[in-house]
Amino acid sequence: MSVANEKIVSDLLKPIGYGKGFLIWMSFLTAILIACLYAYSIQLREGLGVTGLRDYVSWGIYIANFVFFVATSLIGMLISAVLGLTNIKWASPLARIAEIISLAFAAVAGLVIISDMGRPDRFLYLFFYGRIQSPIIWDVTVVTTYVVISILLLYLPMIPDIALCRDRLTHLPKWQRKIYEILSVNWQNTPEQQHIIRQGVKTLLILIIPVALAIHTVTSWLFAVTHRPGWDSTIFGPYFVTGAFVSGTAAVIIAMYVFRRIYHLEQYITAELFDKIGKLLVLVSLVYLYFNINEYLVPVYKLKHADAAHLHELFQGRFAILYWSVQIGGLLIPIILLLFKPMRRPLPLFIVAIFVIVGAWFKRYLIVIPTMQHPFLPIQNVPIEYQIYKPTLIEIAITVAPIILVLMIITILSKTFPILPIQEVENHENN
Amino acid sequence: MRIIKYFLSLTLLLIFLQTALLSAEEWEVPADKAKRTSPYLFDENARKKGEDIFKRSCASCHGIPGQGNNIKSLVPIPPDLKEAKVQKRSDGELFYMITTGRGAMPSFKNSLTEQERWQVISYIRSFNKDYVQPPLAKLVDSAKLRSVQIIPFFDTVKFKVSVLVKAFQKTDTLPLPDAEVSLFVKRYFGNLPIDSIRITPSNGKVTFNFPSNLPGDSTGNIQLIVKVNHEMFGELEKLYVAKLGVPTIKPPLTEKRAMWNVGKKAPLWLIFSYLIVVGAIWFFLVRIILSIRKIKQSGKNPKL
Ligand code: HEC
Repeated sequence: MSVANEKIVSDLLKPIGYGKGFLIWMSFLTAILIACLYAYSIQLREGLGVTGLRDYVSWGIYIANFVFFVATSLIGMLISAVLGLTNIKWASPLARIAEIISLAFAAVAGLVIISDMGRPDRFLYLFFYGRIQSPIIWDVTVVTTYVVISILLLYLPMIPDIALCRDRLTHLPKWQRKIYEILSVNWQNTPEQQHIIRQGVKTLLILIIPVALAIHTVTSWLFAVTHRPGWDSTIFGPYFVTGAFVSGTAAVIIAMYVFRRIYHLEQYITAELFDKIGKLLVLVSLVYLYFNINEYLVPVYKLKHADAAHLHELFQGRFAILYWSVQIGGLLIPIILLLFKPMRRPLPLFIVAIFVIVGAWFKRYLIVIPTMQHPFLPIQNVPIEYQIYKPTLIEIAITVAPIILVLMIITILSKTFPILPIQEVENHENN
Repeated sequence: MRIIKYFLSLTLLLIFLQTALLSAEEWEVPADKAKRTSPYLFDENARKKGEDIFKRSCASCHGIPGQGNNIKSLVPIPPDLKEAKVQKRSDGELFYMITTGRGAMPSFKNSLTEQERWQVISYIRSFNKDYVQPPLAKLVDSAKLRSVQIIPFFDTVKFKVSVLVKAFQKTDTLPLPDAEVSLFVKRYFGNLPIDSIRITPSNGKVTFNFPSNLPGDSTGNIQLIVKVNHEMFGELEKLYVAKLGVPTIKPPLTEKRAMWNVGKKAPLWLIFSYLIVVGAIWFFLVRIILSIRKIKQSGKNPKL
């Protein structure tokens, strides 16, 4: 191994291990998680009445959160598969970060749904009594499949790196080395082994494209197959998918920045990489903007009776401040800012990405809740809290829990495995 | 142009005057009707039943009495029934108004029985602390009511329904004159009035024209309601079945495989597409998972 490569390997393996910072950070997350779980125990005992959900708004921030999670999990497919298969080389060092984010968000998305169930003990009924005609069944199928693909797509290309950990990280505790040993499945870097991995990864990269499109298209169909203002749209599938790329790219940028700072990877997660992914964010945001124009301008032009009330609430009514903040602050201004090169340096890009991802979360809120407050038959003879949805503290805590879980999964994975694919980095540096 | 303007303003003026007049116009109730009182006691039971009926049939316009949630967009505005203006009226007046209706206020003659109408009034009165129920009217003698016979004839060729009404009078059961007879077809929601109300002549027989195109059940049967109301003999309602409808066979929407049907009756194309797509993807996934074992085996005895 050359000296340069030797340095890469030792640099990338350095962050691995559960040090003091890791323990403090994880205890912090655990403390919050316990508080959130306590909130959930109240919901389990008392029922969904402790949330702001009522007859009319029965999908609140839980489902908005679910859509956000599924959306963000799509990024693995964009970075690894779309850019990978089209041979766009600059993105390949980011593949692992993208896969870790995908896996964490997709795996937790299923839990988010369970938090929306009044009787989670009946979850398995879905499999016993579900109707194949229901998009909910398709969603369950495709989310499960996507989680499995994400695990494989994270794991297979990582086997050689795990073998490196097994061979190099002799200072680690025994149990941890045992895990590397099991996971590295006797990796000896033989041509046969390389061939198997190459074939497997290639198949996965092809499979993940339709499955990822399906996962978010089906999620959009949960809404679009119902005849309600704001959901009754034929472009909901692509609208959701393009929106997903925006929030996913922002998530990757945030992760890149944090890893770069904390793990001192300035040399590998370069400013140039930020510049490139900043351009990618502009591209996907422009596509999403295009879909937004379609999604809102066409109904605004026709102003069908039920749509009119809904759109009025969004544009000028109760949701107007949120709506315009999300569309302008979370989409339009980021696009304009990122057109300038200085804004694509790591720190400014990181800040813009935070705006984009917060906007993306609230965009899901705007997709789910206002529609539920505009049923075709006017709401009458119900108490005021049935008419206007306001999430309760318990509900907010239960919504925070999955976010904490995602952070935990990402932290553990990034402290257990090298977050940059070593081989890719070597190729990159040597060219 | 001038003429058009002139006409326009004239019409507008007329419309305005009409609405103004209509809303100002007192609702005249014939004196003998206004004096009527309820034959039923306004007790808790009557009030409860009245409340159900009110919420179902009246609250959508008048709102719940005392809450002021009546719809303000109708002309004239349906008053909140707790208002003094309404409570000042006699029971007989309210009964008449509910029975006949006026303008936007529908007539409940056919959809509520007399007893139900009195129950609603009992409910409306429960919002008036000062109300004392006047002496009960005499109920119709039940022996008299029991003697009423309704004898229908269904002409399924010429589509006519005749009704002969008889009752025990003095010494014998004879055709009953002056009885009000109405005919309805029973539907899922409410009854469909057929032809107009008839008053029996001295031979006690009336005839209704029946439409020839009403849908019946699979054999053309239709359920008919004949209602007889006589001042002295009371109110009687009977249900009959006659082949006066067009036979209609509607296969239930849940019979064939369909998107909206139960899981067992899912469309075949959907089942196949689902299985093929999911099967194909998992075929590859399982193969990849198995290939991990191959990596392991090949690592044991590497062919270097
Ligand atoms: C479709 C709307 C509507 C429904 C349903 C309705 N009403 Fe009315 N009602 C009106 C309107 C409009 C008026 C005023 C009519 C007028 O003054 O010409 C009115 C007037 C009345 C009045 C007379 C009030 C007064 O003193 O002037 C009474 C009593 C009344 N309604 C009772 C009832 C009851 C009892 C029911 C249910 C069995 C009922 N209404 C259902 C619309 C409605």
